[in-house]
Amino acid sequence: MESPTPSPTSSHQSPLARRVRRWPDQLFFAIILAFAILVVAVAFAIVGILAYNSQQSFRVFGWQFFISSNWSPNGQVFGALPFIVGTLLTSAIALLIAVPLSLGTAIFITTQAPRILRTPLGTAVELLAAVPSVIYGFWGVYVVHPFMRATVEPVLHEYLGFTGLFGPPGGSGDVLTASVILAVMIVPTISAVSRDTMAAVPAAQTEAALSLGATDWETTRVATIPFARSGIIGGIILGLGRAIGETMAVTMTIGNVDRVPDSLLGPGQTIASLIANELLSNTGPLQISAILECGLVLLLISLMVNVVARLLVWRATRGVGGRVV
Amino acid sequence: MAGDAGRGGSSRVKFDRFARRKLVNRIITVLAGLAVIAALYPLVDLVYTALVQGGGVLFQLTFLTARNPTPCSVVSCATVGIGPTIEGSAILVGLASLISVPVGVLAAIFASEYRTRGIGRVVSFTADVLSGVPSILMGAFVYGYLVLEYPNLVESVISGSLALAAIMIPIITRTTEEALRTVPDATREAAIALGIAKWKMSLRIVLISALPGVVTGVLLAVMRAAGEAAPLILLTGFSTNWYTRPDLPVGSLPVLIYTYALQPYSNWHAVAWGATLFLLIAILVVNVLSRYTIQRMVTKMSGGS
Amino acid sequence: MSSSGTGTNAPPTGTTTGEPTIQRQKRGRGALIAVVAVIVIIIIVLAVGYEAGWFKGSSSSTTGTSGCTLPSAGTIKGEGSTLVAPLMDQWATSYWTGSIVTYDSAGSSAGIQAVSTKVVDFGASDAPLTHAQRSSAPGILTIPESAGGVVPIYNLAGLKFPSGQSSLNFNGSVLAQIYDGQLTNWNNTALQALNVNVYIPSVTIAPVYRTGGSGTTFIFTSFLTLENSYWASHYNKNTSWPSGLPGTGASGNGGVAAAVSTTPDAIGYVDLNYAQTTSGIGVGNVQNPSGKFIHATVANTESALATISGASGFSLPAGSGDWYNVSFLNSPGPTDYPVTSLTYLLVYQDLSSAYSTYTLTSAKNLVDFLHWAITTGQTWSALLYYVPLPTFIVNSDNTTINSMTFGGSSIPVCIPSGGGAPG
Repeated sequence: MESPTPSPTSSHQSPLARRVRRWPDQLFFAIILAFAILVVAVAFAIVGILAYNSQQSFRVFGWQFFISSNWSPNGQVFGALPFIVGTLLTSAIALLIAVPLSLGTAIFITTQAPRILRTPLGTAVELLAAVPSVIYGFWGVYVVHPFMRATVEPVLHEYLGFTGLFGPPGGSGDVLTASVILAVMIVPTISAVSRDTMAAVPAAQTEAALSLGATDWETTRVATIPFARSGIIGGIILGLGRAIGETMAVTMTIGNVDRVPDSLLGPGQTIASLIANELLSNTGPLQISAILECGLVLLLISLMVNVVARLLVWRATRGVGGRVV
Repeated sequence: MAGDAGRGGSSRVKFDRFARRKLVNRIITVLAGLAVIAALYPLVDLVYTALVQGGGVLFQLTFLTARNPTPCSVVSCATVGIGPTIEGSAILVGLASLISVPVGVLAAIFASEYRTRGIGRVVSFTADVLSGVPSILMGAFVYGYLVLEYPNLVESVISGSLALAAIMIPIITRTTEEALRTVPDATREAAIALGIAKWKMSLRIVLISALPGVVTGVLLAVMRAAGEAAPLILLTGFSTNWYTRPDLPVGSLPVLIYTYALQPYSNWHAVAWGATLFLLIAILVVNVLSRYTIQRMVTKMSGGS
Repeated sequence: MSSSGTGTNAPPTGTTTGEPTIQRQKRGRGALIAVVAVIVIIIIVLAVGYEAGWFKGSSSSTTGTSGCTLPSAGTIKGEGSTLVAPLMDQWATSYWTGSIVTYDSAGSSAGIQAVSTKVVDFGASDAPLTHAQRSSAPGILTIPESAGGVVPIYNLAGLKFPSGQSSLNFNGSVLAQIYDGQLTNWNNTALQALNVNVYIPSVTIAPVYRTGGSGTTFIFTSFLTLENSYWASHYNKNTSWPSGLPGTGASGNGGVAAAVSTTPDAIGYVDLNYAQTTSGIGVGNVQNPSGKFIHATVANTESALATISGASGFSLPAGSGDWYNVSFLNSPGPTDYPVTSLTYLLVYQDLSSAYSTYTLTSAKNLVDFLHWAITTGQTWSALLYYVPLPTFIVNSDNTTINSMTFGGSSIPVCIPSGGGAPG
């Protein structure tokens, strides 16, 4: 039996970190190290494989690839701009819709709702996040899109068409419908993180405001939100990260046209939906390489967005009850 | 403005200012309430549509066990069943779990035990970052690798499970790590002071103490994998056959929904709604159940320690 | 689920005073572990139970049509054309149970890509291989297994037909102008001229085309190229829809049919099977070189094949040859449907050098299926709106399939009996 030397362990060093001596411990250490390295290796592998497969496209098209809007399989000329624009546009509109809804929800649940309602409402909003993307897409095709096309979009075209943003509606999919569904999907993400960061605000702050006679809203506005601001922004960026990578709901509702959208009511394509549609079904290796180069762009953007979001969220909640969304 | 009157102003001015602030507060409450309704309405609408369109189909006696229907044409226009599809989903997710749970949990143990050392933090950071990678890219990555090395496995149970495992591992690693972090060092030190081997301490004491959090994470990952369609579209594809061999494709519920939704046959749409309802019920039930169980365990733990 | 313990602070009796905390925590976890174990067991039971109880029910026969012995069980993976997918799915279901056939209908280009990268045992494409594609899959054979018609479908409420006409007339030139955006409104002069007494509402056309690489697109654009010089010079024939044209994209024949049936004022192009089995759409008539407007049927697509192949000097390329210029479009017969085309299976001639994991059994399974498909399988064709292979194609295919080798020698054939259409 092992009798470890009783050394004064400081609170920050884990007992396991001390030198292991017996073979079961050594074997255990080897296994967990191997799996840990595996996780890191997967990350490198993803970047590596995408980069490796992008080489051909990069050699042919160079840096022009990212600003060219010409995606022409028949002419074997490819440019990523339609999908970069499509991705950013749908995500931006989704955020525009989702942020007010999420913040309103977070504020309501955290400050306004009666205590008994808090958990059910919170759970209900989080259940929105549990619904698979493909189900949102299915619902989008047969419920949301017909509704948008018949009711919302003609109105937008009629009254806001002068802005140039809202062309004639019609067709089997469009950017706005896809954005609306994305918004529904990211509301729980932003709302949950906002609620967490708002809950992490020290009670002293909110109580101080309340004791000075502030109303609930004023307390939220003056005491909670400034404190939680970086966390809320982190949550918004996390929602952005989710939106740019969404595939199924988008590919089923966006119209699948490889062109920079000329109208919010017209069709488009995101990088994710491009991969879903054309990675297996294309005109050959050059197109595959171009598609995977777009995938690499998506990966790098997602990674950056995710890192920024996590840093903001961690700082705001000090790692308290880390939520997995 | 009434605000300029200050504290020393007339009581009427004070009343107006306070009334205005109360009004603003109430307006915000209403707006926030509307936001909640707007946020939750899609969920209600979706579940309602699934119930209406899929209920009749799902609650047929043999729906969960019978074979998939052929399209509405010469042979039949029935909404027979999704048996092979449920089996396929179970196998894909089961195999993915078999791979990802050990990898994720053990990597998390490493990360949490070495969280102050560089390597532990690298693992933790990587898992965090990986969890944000779009699932379609996980599928593209597995496709890119397999098509070069093992092309006969591209359309198979194995490729789909690998992609799902790649999606599940970061989730499990992160949640397990969070859970392990909540176990106080005192527990670890007590175990070591009693002469328990370090690997035993990690697994049988620390991990077990953190089990509620770990199980939540695993269930979350399983439910996420059960609903993923994007990587499977690139890899396993869709099949209506019962499972036979791991190098053959199988059906899965999310890909069934995607495939049948984009076809013109009404019986396939009905089956897709049935599958949607089934998947929704399964996910919602597991979600609520795991919350309830975890909540009870957490109260027990805080009550007992 | 029940849980042991009541959460009190008193240590359980009989334990050493050294480990009360750990003991209590362990007991509290019991229920949780039980829940997890149950879920895991359910998953395993599902998988094993279904497999044991449902699949291996009936034993599969071991004798083929001519009394030969069938190979031991095998699997055959196919991928490709959505045009022929309904027929393929029927074949996969009806084929001998000893061999599992799976078909992934991801589109013709996906089929070409899959067979070129050896992901599948056979590819299916309505577009014949280009020179470049044949170079990247050396030793590939082209085996037509069926033929079908590509028809225009539309979703237009408010049409009023005179007696004697029940669907819109189109010709290739008008279709080209609709699809390249020269004609944007349903109520245009050119279309009205083909439909003299028909009331056509004045609404914007919503064209639907195929995303990705599609053999159906190849057939359709080939037809448009023959019929409209503007299209020919600007867009030509291709598996990928030309970029920059109006409309929205849909995935697969099924996707186009679904999109047209749910999108008001839409027009699309699909195989005859999808046109017949989709509700809520109109199927257009297409003008043939004789000037007649033909509503596609199995009969008039069959006669298109017969007319063209009956012409003097007609011959099919060898299975290993170049099929790019084989065309059954614009058949000169007065009642022939003008947009008819073959659809092809793509397999490797030398199976042992193409697939490193192949055994003689795998080769036999593939070859047996191919033979079955062009004989017994054809009994399903007409039922599903495809043209049953005429004899001259069956003969040509036989020669091609018989040229396939494994390990340098020809592969013994044994066609499973049964699996044909009833009646």
